[in-house]
Amino acid sequence: MIPELGHVALIVALQLALLQGILGLVGASRDNAAWRAMARGAAGGQLLFVLLGFLALIWSFLINDFSVMNVADHSSRFLPVEYRITAAWGSHEGSFLLWTLLMAGWTLAVVILGRKLPADLHARVIGIMGLLSFFFLAYLLFTSNPFMRLHPPPANGSDLNPLLQDPGMIIHPPLLYMGYVGFSVAFAFAIAALISGKLDAAWARWVRPWTLMAWVFLTLGIMIGSWWAYYELGWGGWWFWDPSENASLMPWLAGTALLHSLVVTERRGALRVWTVFLALVVFALSLVGTFLVRSGVLSSVHAFALDPLRGLFILVFLCILIGGSLVLFAKRAGAVKVAGDFGMISRETALLTGNVLLLAALATVLLGTLYPLILDAFGLGKISVGPPYFNAVFVPMMVPVLLLLGIAPWMRWGRESLPELLRRVRWQALAAVLIGIALPFLFEVWRWQAALGLVLAAWMILTTISGLIARRQSDGGLPLAAYGMGCAHVGLAIGIIGMGLVSAYQSEKTVAMQPGDSASLGQYEFVFRGAEEVPAANYSAMRGTIELKRQGQAVATLLPEKRIYRSAQMTMTEAAIRYGFVGDVYVAMGEPLAGGTWSMQLYLKPFVGWLWGGAILMALGGLLAALGLRSKGVRE
Amino acid sequence: MSLWIGVGCFVVVALVFLLVPLWRQKSALAGRHDARRWPTMGLLGALPALTVGLYIYLGAPGILKEQALTQAQSNYDVDGMVKALEDKLKATPNDPDGWYALGRAYIAFSRYADAEEALRKATTQAPQDARIIAQYAEAMALKQGSLDGRPLELIQAALEISYEEEKALELAGLAAFQKENWAEALHYWRRLLKLLPKVTEHHEAIAQAVLTAERKLDIRLGGTGVPLPPPPAEPKKAPH
Repeated sequence: MIPELGHVALIVALQLALLQGILGLVGASRDNAAWRAMARGAAGGQLLFVLLGFLALIWSFLINDFSVMNVADHSSRFLPVEYRITAAWGSHEGSFLLWTLLMAGWTLAVVILGRKLPADLHARVIGIMGLLSFFFLAYLLFTSNPFMRLHPPPANGSDLNPLLQDPGMIIHPPLLYMGYVGFSVAFAFAIAALISGKLDAAWARWVRPWTLMAWVFLTLGIMIGSWWAYYELGWGGWWFWDPSENASLMPWLAGTALLHSLVVTERRGALRVWTVFLALVVFALSLVGTFLVRSGVLSSVHAFALDPLRGLFILVFLCILIGGSLVLFAKRAGAVKVAGDFGMISRETALLTGNVLLLAALATVLLGTLYPLILDAFGLGKISVGPPYFNAVFVPMMVPVLLLLGIAPWMRWGRESLPELLRRVRWQALAAVLIGIALPFLFEVWRWQAALGLVLAAWMILTTISGLIARRQSDGGLPLAAYGMGCAHVGLAIGIIGMGLVSAYQSEKTVAMQPGDSASLGQYEFVFRGAEEVPAANYSAMRGTIELKRQGQAVATLLPEKRIYRSAQMTMTEAAIRYGFVGDVYVAMGEPLAGGTWSMQLYLKPFVGWLWGGAILMALGGLLAALGLRSKGVRE
Repeated sequence: MSLWIGVGCFVVVALVFLLVPLWRQKSALAGRHDARRWPTMGLLGALPALTVGLYIYLGAPGILKEQALTQAQSNYDVDGMVKALEDKLKATPNDPDGWYALGRAYIAFSRYADAEEALRKATTQAPQDARIIAQYAEAMALKQGSLDGRPLELIQAALEISYEEEKALELAGLAAFQKENWAEALHYWRRLLKLLPKVTEHHEAIAQAVLTAERKLDIRLGGTGVPLPPPPAEPKKAPH
């Protein structure tokens, strides 16, 4: 009964989304206030019904209703309750339902928070978001229905993928999707601007807070995903250049570029066409990323062949969306008044250069991610593109971006004299180089990766903070958004310290240990006290006990586990981690050897936590900026 | 039925979200009623029709009926069968197999007193049927909560008639097991195991019981592997 009602709720939501789209767009172009009001009402109703559908699915998971195919395929009686709830978005179908729910949520936020916008722009944005929702609901209902039924139902389900049975996985997808879906607001604003031809500084001011919020969520989502990979996959890596990670990095890079070009458009009225273009690109990349990850193409490009309707639906939609918006862009971009004159050396140029470099870096990621898939799809052979490619191509492109990041806030809008600029930042540059070169001597060996990371980070931190101080003195105060910028830039610098130091100084060791054995790594001594069996509801685990000593003093007891999940017959490694400010100690159990001996992997990961700490600061900075802009907008 | 009430509620709520904003808009449309009437009528017609149509196309409205049917069948069948059997036996009470079946049904419903009574009738009508006697013993034992006394006598009687009576072997083994006569229990159950079809739940359960008894015996004998004490003598088969 409940699953059927959930199904009906989605059908009602589908119609409301279509009405929202048509009434919004037609109401805007015919200047019909009643239709615009109906579009707003439809948006509210759509959220209600998608939410009902989502709750119905969660309910089916909670009560183990295996007559719902999605439940039978992704849950089991032995699955703990909290994972039964999250299993609702652990599947292809469920994750698109979550996407649709978040989309409806963002739409309602636009309906409520955008009341002060010009009526036609507001209605167009709502209308475009309605059409996007309509597509997702149609995709859900016609090709990926989460409420497909089984009769008679199986006695038990086939359980949730053990990799997803983890707290990190509870929040990672919703955060990521909040980011992806949030960029649909910027997309809708861009399309609305192209339709009306009105694209000015005011437009950029409206879009900025939305883009910032989406970017904040995406940053946090990527951060949680990276942290999850670190502790869950059992070897302490934090970024693998895996296609599913790249799928989230690409919209993030484009989104970062969009944030900065929006600043130029808002403050100077310049780069309008470029900004609109970026807004289209960010959302298109979000869609491509979602489909890449969720469609199964990554595990096999032939996954689509199993369900051609899904693939066709996605391809047609992407063609309409990307092709349509680019055609609209090509036809209408000429109508957008080009304004804002700036010199070769100016803050505009610095931001634009940063933008272009970000997009170039993005292109290298896109190539490295899609090219192997395309080759495979056409039967031209399998190649693997991994970290060596990305480290060699992507990283060098980011170095000038980071250098620009330090200098841009010091530059004047319009025109700037180079000698004057260099004079202003000369001390910061000198200090950064000295600090960066000196600090690695504190470690056992001096390594250039560490020095590079530290020089860049010191440069970013020094210029950002001194720039804010100087601006505060000259302007007699700072807006909240400026603190946000400072926080985000310092956060990025802290993340880079983490990346540089962990890649230069991490150490590892694989040892075979019998109970009572000890091994040493760095300043630590690891004493193995044996392994015992620990049963749990849906897996059984061997848990090792390792006493961690430093200079003879016991500092912690680490309990790594090797788990076998019953339903999937999958072995999982639960690493034991001692988190620390200056680095983590990381232990993973390997394979059991003869007679109570275990192979153990021991790692020291200096400063690795700074990576995620930096990402949190970046997100916090984005949030501050969004709040600052929003309150400024309200005051105006 | 209640599903369609739910569908109706959903459609009404959706219409409220659309029509309330339409009819609350005054300014530009004041006086122009047909500018509102046509959208209203269109929505009142289209939304319910599309919702129902799409649901019938995409959904599984039949599943509720099927689920309900499966549910009802499983309840209906047993109740109905018992009722039918009771009626039939009232009309033709001289039917030992009928009373036997009714007795087993009562046992399944935990109506042990009724079961005992039905099986008593069956045994008086067929006093030489080992199967019925063993079942009577079980009903009696379930009612009094123990195999001791009359049930055990009946079991022995059943085994004297047929030493291959499965229920009797099972109960005899159980009685011995309860008295911690592990070897005797093993004797009956091993014999039973040979008679039961393999790969059935019953076979598995008895095999499990045999293992338990073997372990108990082994423990009592100190795990020395001493040969088992001789089983109780097999009585001669009573001539039929």
